[in-house]
Order: sequence, then C-alpha cells, then structure tokens
Amino acid sequence: MNGKIRLAGLVFAFVFAPVLLGATGYAEKGKGPEIHAKIGVISILTGPGAAYGEAITNGFKLAQEEMNARAGLRIDLVIEDSSGKQEQALAAAQKLINSDQVVAILGPTLSTEMKVVGPEANASGVPIMGTSTTAQGITQIGKFVFRNSLPEALAIPASIGKAVRKYNLRKVALLYGNDDVFTKSGYDTMKKVSEEMKLAILTTETFQKGQADYKAQLTKIKNLAPDAIFCSALYEEGAVILSQARKMGIAVPFVGGNGFNSPKVIEIAKGAADGLVVATPWFGEKDDPKVKAFVAKYEKRYGKKPDQFAAQAYDGLTLMAEGLKKAGKADRAALRDALAGIRNFHGVLGTFSFDEERDVVMEPAVLIIRNGKFQLFR
Amino acid sequence: MAVDWLNPYHLQVASFVLINTLLGVSIYVTLATGQLSLGNAGFMSIGAYTTAILTTRHGFPMPAGIVAGSVVAALAGIAVGIPSLRLTGVYLAIATLGFGEVVRVVFVNWESLTGGAVGIAAIPQMGRELLASLRDAGFAPESIGLRGNQFISLSVFLILFASTLCAIGFFFRLGSSRVGRAYAAVRMDERAAEAAGIDTTYYKVLAFTQGAMLSGFAGALFAHATSYISPADFTYHRAVEILVFAVFGGSEHLLGPVFGAMLLTALPELLRSVSDYRYIVYGILLIAMMVFRPQGLIDPPLVNRLAGKKAAGGGSRDAA
Repeated sequence: MNGKIRLAGLVFAFVFAPVLLGATGYAEKGKGPEIHAKIGVISILTGPGAAYGEAITNGFKLAQEEMNARAGLRIDLVIEDSSGKQEQALAAAQKLINSDQVVAILGPTLSTEMKVVGPEANASGVPIMGTSTTAQGITQIGKFVFRNSLPEALAIPASIGKAVRKYNLRKVALLYGNDDVFTKSGYDTMKKVSEEMKLAILTTETFQKGQADYKAQLTKIKNLAPDAIFCSALYEEGAVILSQARKMGIAVPFVGGNGFNSPKVIEIAKGAADGLVVATPWFGEKDDPKVKAFVAKYEKRYGKKPDQFAAQAYDGLTLMAEGLKKAGKADRAALRDALAGIRNFHGVLGTFSFDEERDVVMEPAVLIIRNGKFQLFR
Repeated sequence: MAVDWLNPYHLQVASFVLINTLLGVSIYVTLATGQLSLGNAGFMSIGAYTTAILTTRHGFPMPAGIVAGSVVAALAGIAVGIPSLRLTGVYLAIATLGFGEVVRVVFVNWESLTGGAVGIAAIPQMGRELLASLRDAGFAPESIGLRGNQFISLSVFLILFASTLCAIGFFFRLGSSRVGRAYAAVRMDERAAEAAGIDTTYYKVLAFTQGAMLSGFAGALFAHATSYISPADFTYHRAVEILVFAVFGGSEHLLGPVFGAMLLTALPELLRSVSDYRYIVYGILLIAMMVFRPQGLIDPPLVNRLAGKKAAGGGSRDAA
C-alpha cells in the first residue's frame, strides 16, 4: 500500500515536473529580463555612532533579502564604513562610485557627511538617498540627492502643533544643545514654529554634548513657570534632562524633536519620561499588517525591536527597488527619474511621497510617553 | 579613450593623505625647537573658516582665500605664541590644547559669522571650480581623455601635491639653514643656545608661527577639498591625530611625520576589506610601534643609513 502511493507520487512527479518547470519559466519570462543592481551603502560601522549604523545596515539587509526573494530583481549591497567622519565618507563614496560602479548610494548616516558626499554624488550623476539625514538643505544639494528620513522641519511643527492645541500652551521655554548640527537645526525649527504660533518664549537655554548636570538651566526655567518646555536634544542628554527636571518638580510637558524619539529615553529616565511628546515617522505598534510583519521579521532575525533608523533604512532600500522596477534597468539617470516620480508609496513608515525637491512628504505620527510606553498622542 | 586606471577614489584618498602630510609637517616645525604644540587643529580651523567665510560670503577668489586663511592663522600663531612660549613641555601642550578648544567653542557660538554647529556648506571645491572656469575658456577634459570627475579629482590631487612638495622642500632646506640650525640648538639646550647668542624667544615664536601658518594652509585646502566644514571637524581628536603622525612616524626627522601621516591616513582605506575590524588593526599597530620603536618609525640614524654617508644635515642631529 505504502509502496503504491510512493510509486504514484513518482509518476505524478515525472509527469508534472516539466509542466511546473515550464510554468515557472513562463512566469519569469512574463516579468521581463532580470534587473541586476549593485547599490552602495555608506554607514557608520566603527566608532561612536556605530549603534545607528548597525540598525541601519540591519534594515538594509532585511529589505535586500526580501527584494531578492522576488523574481525580476537582484540587489547586491556594497557596504562601506565612514566612522562618522566626512573625509572617510567622501572616500567611501568615491570608491563606490568609481571602483564598484554602483547604480545608487544609500546613506551616509549623518547630515554633516551628506553635505560632503552629496555634491560629489550629484556631480557624478549617482542617485543618493539619505535614510537618516534630518537637517535642512539636504536634497537642495542637487537633483540626484534624495532622502526618506523625516526632516526636523516636518517633525517639530507636528509635535508642537498638537501639544499647543491639546494643552493650550501660551508661554514656553526652549532648551537645546548648541554644539551639535542635529540639535541646533532642531532648535532653529522650534524657534521658528513658536514665533509663527505666537507663543511667548520666556527663555532660551543651551547645553553641550555630554553634559551631566542641567540644574542651572532647569532652575531658571522653573522660576519662569512656562506651560511647556521645547527641548532639542539627542536621547543621551535628553533623558537625563527629563529625569533631573522631574526631580526638581517641573511637571509641565516636554516637546522634543526626532532625536528624542528612542526607547532608550524610557530606559534611562524611567517614570520621569512620562509626558514627553515627540513626532516620528516610525511607530512600531501601528495597526498595519506591513508594520507588524516587518517588526516580527526583524525581531526574529536580530533579537530586538526595530527602531526608527532600521525602519527608515528598510523603506529606503524598498524605495530603491521600486525605482529600479519602474526604471526597468540598472541605470543611474533612469533610476533618478524613476525615484523622483514616486508618489504615495506604501511602506512601513506609512504613505510616502517625494516632493518636487526630492524631499519627504508624509504625515508624521505624534507620540507621547505614558506609563513608560510610547502611545499615539491624540 | 578614457584613462580608466585613473580612479577618483584613489586620488581622493591621496588628497587626504597630502593634507594630513601638511599637518604632519606643521607639528614637526614646532617640535624642531623642542616645543610640543597641540594647537594645530585650532590653527587649521582658523585657516579653514577664514577662507570659507571669505569665498562664500564676500566673493573672494579661492587662491586669495587660501592665502588669507594661512595669514590669519599665522597672526593667531604670533598672538598665541608670544605669551604661551614662556611655558614649556607638558604645560605648553595643555595651553595649546586649550587654545584649540577655545577656537572651536568660539566657532560654535559665533553663529552670525560661522553658522554655529551647522557649519558652512557649499564652499567652492577646487577641482569643480577649476573645471568650470576651464570649460568657460573652451577646454573640455574629454579632449585629453578624462571624464569630468577624473579631471576634478586629478586637479585637486595635483594642486595638493605641488603644495605639499613645496612645503616639504622649504622645511627641508630650512633644516640646514641658519634658522634650522638655530632651531636645533634651541631644541637641544635652550640655555646653551641663548649663551651662544641665539635669540631663543624669536626663534621659538618663529617656529610656532610657521607651524600655525602651515596648519592654517592645510585647513584652507581641506575646506576647498571637502566643500563643507563644521566645528566638529576640529575637535581635540584632530589635534591628537596630528600628534600621532609625529609620534608614529618619528619626530626627529622631517620625513618622520610625513611618513606617519601618509601611512596612518592610507591605512584605514587599505583595511576597508576587513571593515568592522579596521580600527582594531590600526590600534594594535600603534601599540606595537610604541613597544618596538618608541622613537617613531623614522629617525635620523635610519635616514642616514638609507641615504648612505652624504646626509650631513641629519648627522649633526645624531648627536642629540
């Protein structure tokens, strides 16, 4: 009995194998010739900032696997380290453009690096997309420069706008790190938005990277009794500021920028993090099958939840794949035109479009920390 | 048609090697009088910011900006040098390191002039400017078989190569001149030099100023090679990096820092194949150097041996 089934199976296999093979062959033909694209990645793999680089490269690799599992497209990644330095980033870009002859570049990680690498890629006619560059004036470098990371100029008005409406804010205090490009340009936006919304700015206080004691600034702010504190900081300093402020009895809401948006804030500041409002392109708890599938896959592969940088990287490579498919060939100029035409792309970050200047058009999610968890701020 | 072996990547790395070589020479000059200055990153930033501000805001042509950058750095060198050269050894090192940080913090806070932490972008890049003006004059790089970006990288490299060669040549000649011998005398024994009638303060300030000017020059070239600068480029990491060129290559001969800068700049690029581990290899190499050759890779006896017997200039230093 058993043997007969096995025999039947064998016959079945022999008869149907050519049919099945033919079918797959046909399917491949139907999708046209395979596009083989080599994409360069510039990321921070060594030195301070390597944590960002790790999340970003993980995001790229996950997306690459997924894209390559589908027929019609094969993406090879050439990953180069920049150590967060402009010279190294520029050298890496030259290598990718000229030695590896990549069709496009993803990265570099920092806005400062992009300001050096962008003009070079643009002059060489290589599409370049930043997945974590949030400062102003990035895509304005040239028509080959793109980004899919939510700029501070979009994130901060969203978080401030919602907080003002919800808490009816009138007078605010500003606090920012003045020796970092990221926190400085975040502050510039905060100031502009506050002025536009006719909020009274009671004081503007500054701090430096790596500072440990913020009591002087916070005491001054406390005495002025603002309705809220707008704070442009990276999570390392921001979390400490939050915890010291709460200990001093400052209970007003904090509104932060993109850099404040990290699960690490809760880890470091614990209960003191409650009441922090941030705007972010990435919300991992979103009720969207794409987001859920991505989070599950990432967690299984790397043993931790994806952060904003991993998600932006993942969408970055998916956008590139989309552009390649639209272009129909791995060609630098054709890819640029295809990318520039992408509208309403549905990724893990939500619905995404490039505007006329190849910058980001999307609706950021505004989150608030309550009971030690990021929640949608309504 | 195109000369394919001319890879802009290699030229780019070579360009940064040359800029760092200039910085290596700049620290050697002050070391030649026995002073350890860690202010070179500060002088470099002064040169870079001066030319960046002049060329982007006031429409100065690039060569004028570079010269102005070097001059302003030299003036800063005199201003800092005169009071601080009463200090010696580690005290001078700390004072100059402090100077570098002061300059950086000024650049961070003087927002109306320097753009603060955001820095200055869109500084004219040497190669691109040159190509644009040559194109206006009716020259196309394709006519000599070069692609646009090859021409840009090549011209940057050649400008830097010529500058570096001039600087090395100048200080090499200086070594066996009256000034160079005065430097050596001050380095070996300041009091003896003074007793022999050498104006030690003058020569120390001169060496300090020369070092500052060269750092400023390198900084100006750096600004026009990367087209973007921010205060974060000139932290004390940069000062230490420059010092390491001299320590690694050897500080007793001009070729020491030159070689140190070349090797230590090219090494991380050569090690790209082991990406994640390249700075580990870099670190191990530095430790190994300190263990096996604490005076640095190149010292006068080695140069003499390589050059045969003719090296008379190095011979006098052998006595040290």
